[in-house]
Formats: sequence, C-alpha cells, structure tokens
Amino acid sequence: MTDDVAEPSRTSAGALLREIVGSNRRFDDRLDTSPDISSREALTVMGRSLRLIAQARQLFACKFFLQLTLMVPGLLLPWLAKIVIDNALQGLPFGTTEVAYPPFMTPILNLLEGKDPLGIMATVAVIYVVMLVTIGARAGTTQANLLQGQDAATQAEDQLSAGSSAGSGLLGLAEFMVNVRLTQTLANNLRTRLFERLARLPMTALGDQRAGDSLFRVLYDVPMAPGLIFQLTFVPFFMLLSGVVNLYLLQYSYGQVAPELVLVAWLTVPAAFLITFPFSGALRRTSQNKRAAGAATTNAMEESMSSVAAVQSLGATKQERERFAARSAESFLRERYSLAVIFTCALIAGAALGVAAIYVTILITDRVIDGTMSAGDFATLMGVYYGIVIPAGYFGAYWIKLQEAIAAVRRVFFFLDYESEEDRTGGKVLTDVVEGVRFEGVTFAYPDNPPVLVDIDLELAVGEFVAIVGPTGAGKTTLAQLVPGLLAPTSGRVLIDGIDAATIDLHSLRGQVSYVFQEHFLLSESIRENLLLANPEASSEQIEEALRTAGCMEFINDLPAGIDTVLGRAGDTLSVGQQQRLSIARGLVRDTRILILDEPTAALDPVTESALVTALRTAAERRLVIVIAHRLSTIRNADRIVFLEGGRIREIGSHDDLMGDAGGAYRGFVEMQ
Amino acid sequence: MANDGTHGTTSADKAMSELRLMKGYRADLSSDRPPRLGLRRMLALALRTWPFMRPLLKHLIVLLVLASSGILTVLVGGVVGTDLLTNKVLVGDKLQPLQARVLFLGDDYVTTDPQLLGEGEPVPAALSEGEDDAAPPAGPALTPEQRREVRDRLVAWGIVGGVLGALLAFGGYYYSVWVWQNVNQNLRVAMVERAESLSLKYHSHAQVGDAIFRVYQDSAMIVNLIQNGIAAPLFSAYALLVALVVVAAFDPWFAAIVVATGAPMLWLASKATPRIRRRALANRTANSDLLSYMQESFAALKVVKANGAESRLFDRFGRDSERALNAAYFLRLDMVLVTLAVALLGGGVVVLGEYLMVSWAIEERQTFLGAALAALVGFAIWNYGAVTSARGRVEELAAGSRGLLGVWMRMQDLFIALERAFHLLDIEPDVVDPPHPVPFPKPIERVAWRGVEFGYDADQPVLAGVDFEASRGTTTAIVGATGTGKSTLMSLLLRLYDPVRGQVVVNDLDLRDLAVDDIRANTAIALQKNVLFADTVAANIAFGAPRHDHGSIEAAAQVACAHDFIRALPNGYDTHLGERGAKLSAGQRQRLSIARAVLRDTPILILDEPTAALDAKTEQAVLRNLAALGAERVIFLITHRLTTIRSAHQIAFLEHGRVAERGTHSDLMAMPAGRYRAFVNHSLGSDD
Repeated sequence: MTDDVAEPSRTSAGALLREIVGSNRRFDDRLDTSPDISSREALTVMGRSLRLIAQARQLFACKFFLQLTLMVPGLLLPWLAKIVIDNALQGLPFGTTEVAYPPFMTPILNLLEGKDPLGIMATVAVIYVVMLVTIGARAGTTQANLLQGQDAATQAEDQLSAGSSAGSGLLGLAEFMVNVRLTQTLANNLRTRLFERLARLPMTALGDQRAGDSLFRVLYDVPMAPGLIFQLTFVPFFMLLSGVVNLYLLQYSYGQVAPELVLVAWLTVPAAFLITFPFSGALRRTSQNKRAAGAATTNAMEESMSSVAAVQSLGATKQERERFAARSAESFLRERYSLAVIFTCALIAGAALGVAAIYVTILITDRVIDGTMSAGDFATLMGVYYGIVIPAGYFGAYWIKLQEAIAAVRRVFFFLDYESEEDRTGGKVLTDVVEGVRFEGVTFAYPDNPPVLVDIDLELAVGEFVAIVGPTGAGKTTLAQLVPGLLAPTSGRVLIDGIDAATIDLHSLRGQVSYVFQEHFLLSESIRENLLLANPEASSEQIEEALRTAGCMEFINDLPAGIDTVLGRAGDTLSVGQQQRLSIARGLVRDTRILILDEPTAALDPVTESALVTALRTAAERRLVIVIAHRLSTIRNADRIVFLEGGRIREIGSHDDLMGDAGGAYRGFVEMQ
Repeated sequence: MANDGTHGTTSADKAMSELRLMKGYRADLSSDRPPRLGLRRMLALALRTWPFMRPLLKHLIVLLVLASSGILTVLVGGVVGTDLLTNKVLVGDKLQPLQARVLFLGDDYVTTDPQLLGEGEPVPAALSEGEDDAAPPAGPALTPEQRREVRDRLVAWGIVGGVLGALLAFGGYYYSVWVWQNVNQNLRVAMVERAESLSLKYHSHAQVGDAIFRVYQDSAMIVNLIQNGIAAPLFSAYALLVALVVVAAFDPWFAAIVVATGAPMLWLASKATPRIRRRALANRTANSDLLSYMQESFAALKVVKANGAESRLFDRFGRDSERALNAAYFLRLDMVLVTLAVALLGGGVVVLGEYLMVSWAIEERQTFLGAALAALVGFAIWNYGAVTSARGRVEELAAGSRGLLGVWMRMQDLFIALERAFHLLDIEPDVVDPPHPVPFPKPIERVAWRGVEFGYDADQPVLAGVDFEASRGTTTAIVGATGTGKSTLMSLLLRLYDPVRGQVVVNDLDLRDLAVDDIRANTAIALQKNVLFADTVAANIAFGAPRHDHGSIEAAAQVACAHDFIRALPNGYDTHLGERGAKLSAGQRQRLSIARAVLRDTPILILDEPTAALDAKTEQAVLRNLAALGAERVIFLITHRLTTIRSAHQIAFLEHGRVAERGTHSDLMAMPAGRYRAFVNHSLGSDD
C-alpha cells in the first residue's frame, strides 16, 4: 500500500489534463487514500452538513429572519426613487404615469397624498432617514472580510469568521453579528468534534496520520462547512424569493412581456446545468488535491520544524528547505489547477450565456427598428431578461458551486467516520484492579506487517515487580502497550481482573494503568502542569514525592521558578535525561494499581537509577510494576523476569532461577553484558 | 464568552447557550499596548517586500500593463458600445466618423451634422471630432436596414471582444495568481530557511505552530500589498477627489458640507486605527496560539492517551478555539462598527443632499458653474439631469469614503501580518558564518575545547570552563551524571550554539572561523532522541547525506546492525515509516539513527547514548563495527554503559560543567578518591 505514495511530481503540460480526466493523485495521505468523491457521496456530504444546523438553531433562525427583514429596502427604494423624480422633482401629480404601484406602497402613497412637491420631498427624506438608521437604506452593505492570500489556508482563515448583511444600520449590524457568530459556531462545533476524533485515533493509525495534515483539516478544511451549509439553505432560498418577487413586480407593473424572451431566459437553467455538470468531478478532484497538497506542505514544515535539532545537527537545513519549497510550489500549482477548471467551465458557460444574450438583443432591436417597440422598452426588457437569467443561471450551476466546499468537508467527515477509540467507550467500568493482568493466546500484528507477538500466555499479579527483557525488536513494548489498551490484540484476549480488556471502558482502563514511554513528550507548560496532566487531583505533596522519587528535585531546585518553571518547546530546555526523569515522575504521580515503565533507566546515571529501582520495589508492594529494561542493575531486582525473543516468551522466572539454567537464553543474554 | 471557563464541549450545551455568543461586547485589550505601526513603519515594511518581488519584476510590469490597458479598453469599449447600441441602433442617429471606421461602414452611415458631433454624447473626446456649440439634434437618421447593419456589425464586434476579453481576463487573472503565488513562495521559503537556521537557543523557546502560522497566514498577505496596500487607496482617493470637484462645480456650499462631514470620519478613523491594530494583532496571535497548541497536542497524543488526559486536552482546545474565534469576531465587529458610523454619516449626507437638490430643482435655482459650462452640459439650472448627476457623485463620495476606510482598516491587518512575517526574518541568528570562512581542515588531527563556558540562560551556566582534546583515531567516552552538560558539549562541536567564552577548535582552527554548513557536513551525530521522518527507511538513512547510493545505504545499515531487520520489513528499504518513525521499536529507530550518522562518512562522529535502547549483544556488535571505522576519525560516545565506556581510548568525566577527570578507564580507576571511580563503583555495586 505504500509504494504508490509518490512524491508530488513537477508540473508538466499534460499533468493538468490527466488531473481532470484521470483519477485522484495522492500526496502524503496514508489513511485517507481514496479521496475521489462520487456524486452520490457528494449528496451524503451535503446531507450531513445540513444536520450540523441542529446545533445552532437559534442563531440560524435569527439570521433567517434578519435577512428576510433586510429585503425591505430592495423592495421600497426603487419606488421611493421614482416618487422623488416624478412627483417631487418634476412636480407631476400621482397617477400620471402608466406604471402601477405595488400594493405595499399604498401606506406611503396615502402619507404623501395631497402634499406639494417640497412636502413630498421632505416626507420621503424623513422616511429615508428612518430607514437609514434602522436598516441602513442607502448606506451600502455590511461585511468585514479580511484580505486573503492565493492559497486555501488563508482563504479558510477568513471564511471561518465570514459574515455579511445586505443591509446596514442597526438591523444590518445585528445580521452581521449573528452571521459571524453562526459561521463560527457551526465551524467550531465541527472542528471540536474533528479534533477530538483525531486525538482519539488508535495507536495503530497514529503513525500514519501526520500532524500537519491533522492541523490542516481542523483549521483549514472545516471552515468550508458553514459556507456549504449556507449554499444549501440561505443562498438558494433568498435567490428564489427575490427572483419570484422581482418577476411578480415586473408582471404586476409592466404587464406581459415578449414570451420568447422569457423562454430563452428559463432555458438558462438546463443549459447552465448541462454545461457545468461535466466539470463537477474535475473541480472536486482539483479542490481535493489542492487541499491535500496544502496539507503535505504543512506536514513538511511541521516535521522539519519540530525536528529542527536533528535537521541542524545533520546539516540538512538546505535539504529541508528544498523539500518545503517543492511542497509549497506544488500546493500553489494545485491551487491554480482548480482555478483552471473553474475558468474553463466559466468560459464555456459564459459563451453560452453570451449567445443567448445576443439572440435576445437581436430579437428586441429588430422590434425597435421595426417600430413595434420603443427605445425605452429595450432597457426594460433586458432588465426582465436578466432578472430571470441571473437566478436561473444560479440554479442551473448550483451543483458545481457546491463542489469545492464538498471536497473540503469530505476531508473532515473522513476522520469523523474513522474508527477511533471513542467508539470503545461505554463498556464496563473498572474501579480498582486487585488481581492482575492475564494474557490469553495473544497475537499482535500491525496492519500489513508480520506479527510482533505470537500466542502469548502470561499472568501478572498485583504486588509483583516484573521485568520484561529481550533483544531489541522482540516485542517488549508491544506487549506492555496491550495492557492499557493502547493496542488491541489481533487475536487472543488481555484480561484485567478476569475481565476482557476489550469490553472495559477505555477511560476507566487507562485510569488504572500508568504508562511511561521510552520517548518522552513534555508539553511546553510548567513542570507542575506536566504532572497534573497525568493526575489532575494530585496534591503538591504527591507531586513533590513523585519528583523526588524520579530524581528530579536536584535539578528542579536549580531552575528559576522550581516546579513552576515553564518548559521550552517539548521540554527542550532540559537535558534528555532530565526529561526522562520528569516522564517517570509523571507516571509515578498517578498512583494507579498498574505501573508500566518502558526503559526508564536507559538515560539515567547509576545513582539515580538505583534510587528509582528502590522506589519501584517499594511501589510494587501494592501494585503491579512492569519494567522493560536492558540494564542488569534494574532487571535483577525484579520478582520475575519475562524473557521475550522473536515475539514469543522464552523463559519466565527470577534472576537466580534463570541464571541457574546453564544453557538458558536469559543467562546467555546476561553474560553478554 | 471568552471568560467563562465552564463551557462544555457537548452540543447540547452549545445549543442551549448559543445566543449567549451575542451577549456582551467584551474587550480583552486592557493590558496590550497597541502595536507600533506608524506610516513610516508601514512604508518600511512595504519596501522590505522588494527582494521577494524583485525576481518577478518583469511579470509584475506585464501585469500592470495588462491591468491598466484592460481597464481602459473596457471603459472605452463600454462607452462606445452603449452609444452605438442606444443612440444609433435603437434611436437611429448617424454614426461618428471613427465609429463608422471601426465598424467598416461607408460614409453614408456617418453623420454630416457637425452639431451632432459635439452634442452631449458620452463619447470620449478622442473619438469625437471637434467641439461645437450645443444645439438640438437634427440631421438625417439611419434607415432601418442601416440600423440592422450597424447592429450586426456591433454584435460581431461584441463576439470578438467578448471572446478575446474573456480569454484575456481569465488568462490574465490566472497569470496574476501565478505571479503572486511566486512572490509568496519566495517569502515563505526565505522564512522557512531562516527559521530552520536559527540556533536551538531560539527554537527551545519558540513554538512550531507559531512558525507555521507566520509562514502560512502572515506571509500570504504579501500578495495583497500592491493591490490593496497601494493601488486601491490611491484609486479610491482619486475617485473621491474627482467626485468632490464635480459636486463643488454644482454647489460649493454643499461640497463644503460634504468636506465638513469628512472631519468626524477622519477623527473616527484616527481614533479607531490603534484599536484595529491591536485587534488585528490579537486575532493573529490567538489563531497562531491555537495552531501551536494543536501541533503540540498531536505530537504528544501517545502520552495523552496513556494518561487518559483527553478531557484536559479538549478543554484546552475548546478554550483556545473560542479565544481565537472571539479575537476574529471582535476584530471584524470593530471594523464594522467604524464602517457603520461612517456609512450612517454618509447616508445622512446623501439624503440631505437629495432633499436640498430636489428643493433647488423645484425652485429652479442656478447651479454654481452651470452657466459657465452651459456650452458642454445643460446643467445651468438644477433639473432632472443635474440632480441625477450631482446625487450620483454624492453617493460616490459616501460609498468611496466608506470603502477607503475599509481599505485602510484591512491595510492595518495586512501590515500587522507583514510585521509578524518579517519578525521571523529579523531574528538575528546567533550562530553566523564568518565573512570569510576557512574551509574545514583535512585531514583532521584533533578536536579540542579550550576554556569553554556556556549556558542557555546567562545566569545558568551549563559548562563552566571545559578543557580537553581528542585526536584522530581515538574514541572518547563522555561520562557523567544526568544534566551535567554532555550533550551540550557535543552541540558546541556542531555549532548548534557558540560558546559564551572560550573556543572549540579543530586542528587549532576556531569553529567560529568556519562556515556552519561546512562544519556540519564534516560532523555526523546520532542523536539521543532518535528523530525519524515520515519517509522511507532508505530516505531516513540518507537524510542529510550529500552523496549516497543504495549500496552505501545498505553498508551503513550493516554497520549499525540494522540491515537484517530492515530486510524483514514489508518493503525492505523502501518501507514507509509513520509519523516520527512510528511502527519501529526504539532499538530499531536507534540503529537507523546510527546508520544515518555512519553513512555521512565524516571525520568526526558523535554518538549520543547510541546504545541505550539496544540489548547487550547488538550493542557490542555495533560498537565493534564502529571501531573498525574509527582509524581516521575522531569518535565521541556519550554513554552510561560501562561496557561501552571501558572500550574507549579516553574517558572525559564531566561534573558541575567541567571535565573533572580525564584518562583511560584503568588510569581513572587507579585514582583512589576519583570521581569516576566512585561513579563506576556505584554502578558496579548495584550491578554485580
């Protein structure tokens, strides 16, 4: 599955074409490997997006009513303008033009009845002022978009807080505020879910999911969702509404117009659909790819920045810069590919619309030249034509307008659907481990890999100090990680107090097991916070106790703020050995019945090591302590030693027992030291 | 909403309280000082973008020419086309001579009436031939056939213009995207280059997410600089001025009123600007913090899982996310409030203007310059045309000032972003190449630390005067308790840092006289933290190696005892490793690290705790292989393992930031009160 993850290729003439007709290319993704979306899946994405509204009903309703209200100026303003010109400026009495006022103008007309031109103007001016303050009539629209770059990431950053109002004034302000909050709420709910989901990916998937890609999805794919939702709700609704109202008004005021013109205008719906539909797959694909390429760029940057010490000490800064530059250029190229698809589609659609417009122009001008219509009718009729064509074109091209957002939102839903540990919550709750852990015929293999553990049967009891020993790659860490459910056996069972771990609520299981990793990750927070991460309820005494046991106090006392010193990035301000001791302290502060330490003493000097081992021995009186170690000084203190080799248990026993076996594997191992 | 720490992440909570989002316009700006961003600073920032635009200068000029000629063509074409369609086709007037020539029509289409040529048609001066007295239009009209002919040719031109125009417009836009992406790419790459070459002193305190945000979000604003930072404000200001002159020509007093309303607008703008800047900075900072936090979370997921600390993680994400959204919201809200105030003022002026103008029209008052310009336009007194025209300009003034203010506020964000982007470029790396670097000496004879003092913080010395040397063909074991500065000592040899005092020398050459890249090309290190990348095994081994082929990669893997397990992987050397080398055991990762150092084939080789995760058998095999390589090299080993230490030619025992003892194992063990001896005895005491 890995050999076709090609490095992004450089641009070539045929690449764009292949992109459009061919299937999707892959960038860094190893989990999300078949991102092509069928039209059917696109519909599913749409449906699921719509369901997100349920979490923001009130804001959604507010936005709806505000937008509805703010259609008023659009209705009133043309008629008020007509009154100003005809009845105030030119002083014509009402009723001298043929055009009939729509019924909603009646109250205003009644108000103006019998006034002289100046009086009419004054009254209209007052109406204008009232409308200006309330709905911002004649004060433009309201929006506050920030500038964007030429890439999906910066555009998303702006879309995340997008909001606008067709009006202004007090209601316009209110609509704007509601709109921004609505967009943000929809996006925030979705991104919170996605973040939680990604954080709960099983360990087997963690290695394949790149941090940069996760960042990109949460931050830059999610913001497309609110836009998609609005495209599915407000936009078509109000487009339809204003289209209907406009048509009604034209009909009402200007009477029947040339029927063939209306027919041509309505033909725009199927025409726009037929032209744009074939492009929808290509647009989805290119949009998909530009996001995948953006994510790949983020991966490159995230990876080299977080491993900057390695990059620098290996003299690879130039290499990494070039890698980033290539990825970044590739992502910009992908942005342009998607632009090219949009442009091609728009050109063809534009040509079709142009032909129609020419036909209509010839149709009307002929009549004007023939004298059957007046010159003034031309403008009116073209107005009618475009009044239909614009909403008709919108609905005809509706499907393609959704595709970009669908491509992005699918990337979000992919990980919402991905099997995560969250799916395992809700099992039996483990309160206190009293007996111990039992492995029954446990076999484990990473997907597409040979098994790491084969048919393990093992029983470990609370009160024991167990060392897992064996050559590198024997499966020691894998065995240990099965206990807190970080990994799940491929076959066989892991039982905790006789209960199958697979049926135990994951959170309660991990609440009973402390696991100290061989690689240590510290957060750039204070030392205290790093320990509280493991046990939020730990008292200051417990924290100090744990730190002392792990041999941390000697260096902590030298730190400027002691326990409250804020660590640099990933603990980089401390030496690796110090970081490891802090990780151990973090394991100790949890006070759980099972404590697992993976190579805790590798980076410790002998003094610290022996202190730690003594502490672990004491701890083992009421706990099950499992230690993975190579160092004899640590191993020989164990009650029992489990010697693993090639994924199988070779020997079990105390140091003395196993050393007694002259040809034993363990003895051979020890004698090497 | 920012300050209630009690929010839940469940959707039910959200739905219940979503309207609370609208409550309270709370500004959490109390403590921040507004960013210093005067006009001079903005100009300086704009000028600093030059190096990134310079490589595309040719294209930028082409773009400028394309854009301006495009606008001009559309403008002229639109005016002429409208005139032809309305006055000629629909009404039947005869054509202007130039129009006929463009449409390839004969003289019988051309008007002979000189008066028609000068009548108030919207034809630009260049296209009409001569200015004559205004007079009622007379002259013969076009026949219906002629009108159809004109229309058909107009349509033909429309098709040609439409097709060419659309192609040019789309092509030009695509081209402009390409140009600006390249400008952005130049800036991005420069930023990444700088970020990656800054010393680890910077990196230990900087956050990865912050750098990502600067490189992605902040740098992208460079693409808007010319259009929105320079061109748009200038155009808007120019349009405003023109509109104002026209209004003044109609009625200077009213123009004065318009100008007077400009005063509160300017006052508002000047009051709002520092606030907008603060908001813009707060917005970018909050979003950058969110990114940083997420990056760290994703990197630490294993620990979070093992500790069941998810809820803590999610709470923090929820808070940071809300904070970022609030910052974005309040920035936009502030912008909208300022625009709204200006829009209301402007709307008021428009309504007032309309009222005044209509009342003047009703009393048939004279316009200010109308009489003087009566020859050109018929606006001597206020009438329909005059009101429409003057009102249009007033509306332009209102919309224009609103727009200009919007541009101004967006510009603040733009420059805040550039400031943040350039901040990264402005950090002076503390490890720099000398102006005339000396090449790395070959062959290498010795490496020495002379009176080296170093500390990450000034008040916390890590190394307090280290003196010792190692020569070619030897292996030196660096021994000492955790935190005594063993890794730091080696970092100085790679010039990841420079010593505060003293010098590190190679063959008596101070490392500071050598180029950083040259030093690192000649020094290989296997790091204590086994950093692997999400790439193939082969690529990971070859990471940082300038020359390599498959054979040399395999050979290096064999030295590190990694060949066998690599062969057993599903795709051998082409197996893709997961994020941060996941799926390999720690011992396997460690051996890849060693192979990587070996492949680079450098005169200096440093192994930092190379065998901590290896079992004794593998360890001894690796060490044997390394020893075979060591004849021409200087090898350093940092280790706690006695077996490893014993095999070294010399041992440097570090304590309290100094080399406390130096010598072979037996030398040091012979010192009765020796520190090293005590150290060894301690490990032996618990060993056997």
